Amino acid sequence: MAELRLIDLVVGTKLPELSIDITPRLIVGGAIASRDYQNVHHDKDAAQALGSPDIFMNILTTNGLVGRYVTDWAGPAARLKKVDIRLGAPNFPGDCMTFSGEVQACDNATGEVTVAIAGNNQLGPHVTGTVVLHLLA
Amino acid sequence: MSATLPDLQQYVGKEFGPFHSWDPVNAPMIRHWCEAMGDTNPIYTSDQAAQAVEHQQLVAPPTMLQAWSMVGYAGERAPGSSSGSAFAVLEVLEAAGYPGVVAVNCEQEYEQYLQPGDEIYYKAELESISAEKTTALGTGFFATEKSTFYNQRDELVGTMRFRVFKYRPGSRENADG
Repeated sequence: MAELRLIDLVVGTKLPELSIDITPRLIVGGAIASRDYQNVHHDKDAAQALGSPDIFMNILTTNGLVGRYVTDWAGPAARLKKVDIRLGAPNFPGDCMTFSGEVQACDNATGEVTVAIAGNNQLGPHVTGTVVLHLLA
Repeated sequence: MSATLPDLQQYVGKEFGPFHSWDPVNAPMIRHWCEAMGDTNPIYTSDQAAQAVEHQQLVAPPTMLQAWSMVGYAGERAPGSSSGSAFAVLEVLEAAGYPGVVAVNCEQEYEQYLQPGDEIYYKAELESISAEKTTALGTGFFATEKSTFYNQRDELVGTMRFRVFKYRPGSRENADG
């Protein structure tokens, strides 16, 4: 992981894109890792009974992936301060979600950086929002 | 027509909790999380890597905030937890003819990184409930639950605002499904 330096950033700096295959393995694995046993995240029949075409990703996994996306870019010295997301189309098995992001604000005095992120699948935005992080001087 | 609704604002601001975690923050649960998320940030698995960037030891991904106090497979709260729910108003709305629910926003703020040994509990309240609104999904209410997370020293470690739309589906047939 390369170290990101505040001095390299300007508003508009783009994060590298990250594509994540949405598999049943990821949906179920993420749900269990987050101790979320709601049946719509592991039981296709139960999900369909509730009107969903398939199981779908839980919010904790979405949060985890958003955090990963930003710290993959920012490096181990970055401190996450805030993850503020709006939820859109579900992540269903067989889809692929592609993250993109862009620096929205950076304060060289405090080291605080705000990144706008979006994770899109074939249905449209699964997640959009902002992540605030702090970079060590 | 829906059943007569009580004053929904009466549910706002009442504190519920504490809700405890079954386990203290621990390295195995952190590693399982990182495996599933594909997160290879070394500060989550290596004391040395974490210390190199001014943590005391390895730390948990901040986005795990909510995971520590989840009820888990058995669906039971950890010992010492309160009963009750800050989202009880959703059951009231359900009974009044608003069966649908969809998560809209989740906002987490982190005051400090959690590390193995930390014992996390939270308190929760219904922070706000909107007037009745109509969206593409139907007619209903936006409700925001605020959870405030603390450690074993009662220090604030993070907050989470979770907003849902609890609704009666619109007259249009849903095309999905």
